Amino acid sequence: MQRILLAILVYLVTSQIVAINCYSVEPDEFLQNPKKELRARNISKNIRCLICQNQSIDESSALLAKDLRILIRKKIEHGNSDEEIYDFLTERYGDFILLNPPFKISTLFLWILPFVFLTAGFFVIFLHNNKSKKLDYNK
Amino acid sequence: MKKGILISPIILFFLILFVFFYLLIIDRNPSELTSMLINKKVPAFEAKLLLENKTFISTDEFGNETTLVNFFATWCKPCRDEHPYLKKLSNEQGLKIIGINYKDDSKRAIKWLKKLGNPYSNILIDPNARLGIDWGVYGLPETFIVNSNGVIKYRLVGPISKKNYDAFVLKVKEVEK
Repeated sequence: MQRILLAILVYLVTSQIVAINCYSVEPDEFLQNPKKELRARNISKNIRCLICQNQSIDESSALLAKDLRILIRKKIEHGNSDEEIYDFLTERYGDFILLNPPFKISTLFLWILPFVFLTAGFFVIFLHNNKSKKLDYNK
Repeated sequence: MKKGILISPIILFFLILFVFFYLLIIDRNPSELTSMLINKKVPAFEAKLLLENKTFISTDEFGNETTLVNFFATWCKPCRDEHPYLKKLSNEQGLKIIGINYKDDSKRAIKWLKKLGNPYSNILIDPNARLGIDWGVYGLPETFIVNSNGVIKYRLVGPISKKNYDAFVLKVKEVEK
């Protein structure tokens, strides 16, 4: 039984390692300059693949993801800044293409609500504790 | 008062549950995106034509009449299903349709059009998806309606079919209002 469990554990851990290292960038896409290549990789990790929508284009093997990776590298070679590249993509595909949504009026709730809920949660716990303490004293 | 505060997380929980459930059951496709180009001018571009050895210049072609821009490819099965409806739009509605042959083999595309008929006034080639990216295309086929001022008014992701043909014709008529 223990052996089976160990085997399952080893499988889970190693499959995760393989998954973590699984990128779709193909060798012919790499830029010669390692600094520029790193910039391209970092941008690609922030860009959503619009076909496999929960993957970045760095991980996705969809055709469109490959086209976008190549385009980003071409733009870097042409001397465009990271911001210019992000602007170029959001002008065409909207903020949805960014895996990290920007802080804007339209995304205000998205960013603020978790903190509101968290504070409300603490408040409720605090009130509840107070109430039970009072009950204890009354005993 | 205090009781109300204590019960509020439960109410909130059911409220969120209701919203999620509502979004789940209504008829919508969550992966469908709205185009960023709606109410914007057609992007300026130049491209080679598939059937002639000429260059297509966008500024010369848009802005005279309602025009459809249809991204298609021979490798895309829904494009084939859509083809008869494009012919219908061109023949019955007299619409100008510009086809953009997206990441395709030109020889195959020519063969395909010979077999199925050609509803397009011009067919441009987009071998590296550069035009597709400029138009924000992400799934084939995609059809844009451009009005007579050269402004993009509507985008349909997916094929024009028996189901949505009439609604599409209505959309075409609406863009000139």
